[in-house]
Amino acid sequence: MKQFPVLIVLLPLFSALIIPLLPKKKRFLFGFVSVMFGLLFILSILSYLNVINDGSFRYVFGNYLAMVGIEFLIDPLIALLVLFVSGLSFLIIIYSFSDIQHELKEHQYAYYYCLIMLLMFSMLGMLYTNDIFNTYVFMEILSIVSTAIISIKHKRSNFLASFRYLMLSSIGSLTILMGLAFLYMVTGQLNMDSMSLVISNVWTLYPTNLVLAIGFILIGLAIKSAMFPLHIWLPDAHSSAPSPSSAFLSSLVVKIYIVVLIKVIYRIFGIEIIASLRIDDFILIMASLGMIFGSIFAIGQKDIKRLLAYSSVAQIGYIFLGIGLLTPLGLAAGLFHIFSHALMKSALFLSAGSIIFSTNKRKLIDLDGIGFKMPITMITFSIAALGMIGIPGISGFMSKIYLGLALIADKHPIFLSLILLSSFLNAIYYMPILISSFLKEDVLVKNTLQKDPLPLTMIIPMVIITLSVLLIGLYPQIIMDVIELALPYYF
Amino acid sequence: MIEALLKHTNYLGAIALFIIGLYTVLTHNNVLKKVIGINIMETSVFLFFVSIGMIQFGRAPIIKLNETDIIYVNPLPSALILTGIVVAVSITAYSISLIIQLYREFGTLDLDKMLENKEEQE
Repeated sequence: MKQFPVLIVLLPLFSALIIPLLPKKKRFLFGFVSVMFGLLFILSILSYLNVINDGSFRYVFGNYLAMVGIEFLIDPLIALLVLFVSGLSFLIIIYSFSDIQHELKEHQYAYYYCLIMLLMFSMLGMLYTNDIFNTYVFMEILSIVSTAIISIKHKRSNFLASFRYLMLSSIGSLTILMGLAFLYMVTGQLNMDSMSLVISNVWTLYPTNLVLAIGFILIGLAIKSAMFPLHIWLPDAHSSAPSPSSAFLSSLVVKIYIVVLIKVIYRIFGIEIIASLRIDDFILIMASLGMIFGSIFAIGQKDIKRLLAYSSVAQIGYIFLGIGLLTPLGLAAGLFHIFSHALMKSALFLSAGSIIFSTNKRKLIDLDGIGFKMPITMITFSIAALGMIGIPGISGFMSKIYLGLALIADKHPIFLSLILLSSFLNAIYYMPILISSFLKEDVLVKNTLQKDPLPLTMIIPMVIITLSVLLIGLYPQIIMDVIELALPYYF
Repeated sequence: MIEALLKHTNYLGAIALFIIGLYTVLTHNNVLKKVIGINIMETSVFLFFVSIGMIQFGRAPIIKLNETDIIYVNPLPSALILTGIVVAVSITAYSISLIIQLYREFGTLDLDKMLENKEEQE
């Protein structure tokens, strides 16, 4: 049972090695990939149940001391995140089998799934690891692979977007490495727990080093997770990528960097040091600016995927707002929004991808009457969009409630009004899409209810994601219980 | 203050290189120069990381059992930076391959001109 985390990390790595060796037929490739993802999902369910029943545990590689070797720390939150990542990516992968036939050439399928497997490997490794340099190595793999799944579509806008993403994310990684160097100067350790032990003893002696370290690491992770003024790579990258890649990038990859930031802030430094260095004010201000300006930029967009990408900037602001409060309630709200935003945004990107798949239309003005041509797709889109606005019964509402309660408990009512403002702005850019798709009529075709012109492999993942958005909206305790179980590891 | 800085010229050099690299990446329009800027930044971080493991008059960490009072330099930063160099090489290789594709598509290496022709399809 203790070996599950290692198996979960190694399984995608070995599948990435095997995929190029498979026979060059679609059936073999798709069968192999879905079997591997199914296996990954089952393993992560077993590992999750194991952690929930027996409590968290550490896995040390090669029987070295944790100080010398590499260590995995598996707490309930990490186990839940791993389960979530593998489950959601399983659904996106099933969707992608039909969608990539529209977006890529046939000889590229094997490359694409090879990259996706490496993406899974680096994301899961980054979640599990308790060693800061190991995190950096996984981060570099992730940043190369996530640019590669954009540039795999051979179009000029894709090359341009992935080049800009690569430059900014390399600046981010180098900034993080510089921060790690400052941190290593103070601690002489790379294990997160030993680091936090040393820092809590000596932080008054080396305040300059620690300010520089947290500043460099925060800026680096802010570039990678698109905190507001550093989000400029995100709209191009997420909107030009193939739709499954957009769903991966927007709902999972960005969140993994946020989890790393949570680990750095709460586990390595600890909230007292962060509060006394006044890092939390910086995060709160940038988060609230992101919430407002992300939505304002989204209002002006004409392309549906660019609109969704800008909306991600605003929603990431909510997550950072929760994290920046430095209270258990705030962290729980931020973590809950990680889950709910990942589900809603993948539903939005997959349904937008289905619209592009069947009609080749990306412009918002072309969407008149699309709700009658593709009812299931547009119902998925509407539920997720209403969740983003914050209609009760959908998971986005619950994350806003938790965030609001955390803000009131921490006496920051000004941010509460910003959340309300941001929700209104969300309504301003999501409602026109819903209105034009269900209430307006196309010039050429009359509104008659049709069946979605989509293969079942695209409809089923969207429906499952929508149902889970509703499920978490109605029973948020499913996730909140686990988060509350995991909070003591972060304070 | 100045004495402390003179004692640690390696820090000054690393920070200067970091800023030169960052300036190159952010201000030059030529995509190849951006990649060179990234490489300068990488070098600065490597210099900084390796030099914090340095101990004055320390020896290479090859342990001799019968001599006890030798000071060794810290080998861990150098080992970590080996990994960093591998990562840096792969980023450079990937970005240069992207630049080749960009040049094929646009016929220029100027990022501003590329952004102007972004929407145009052939």
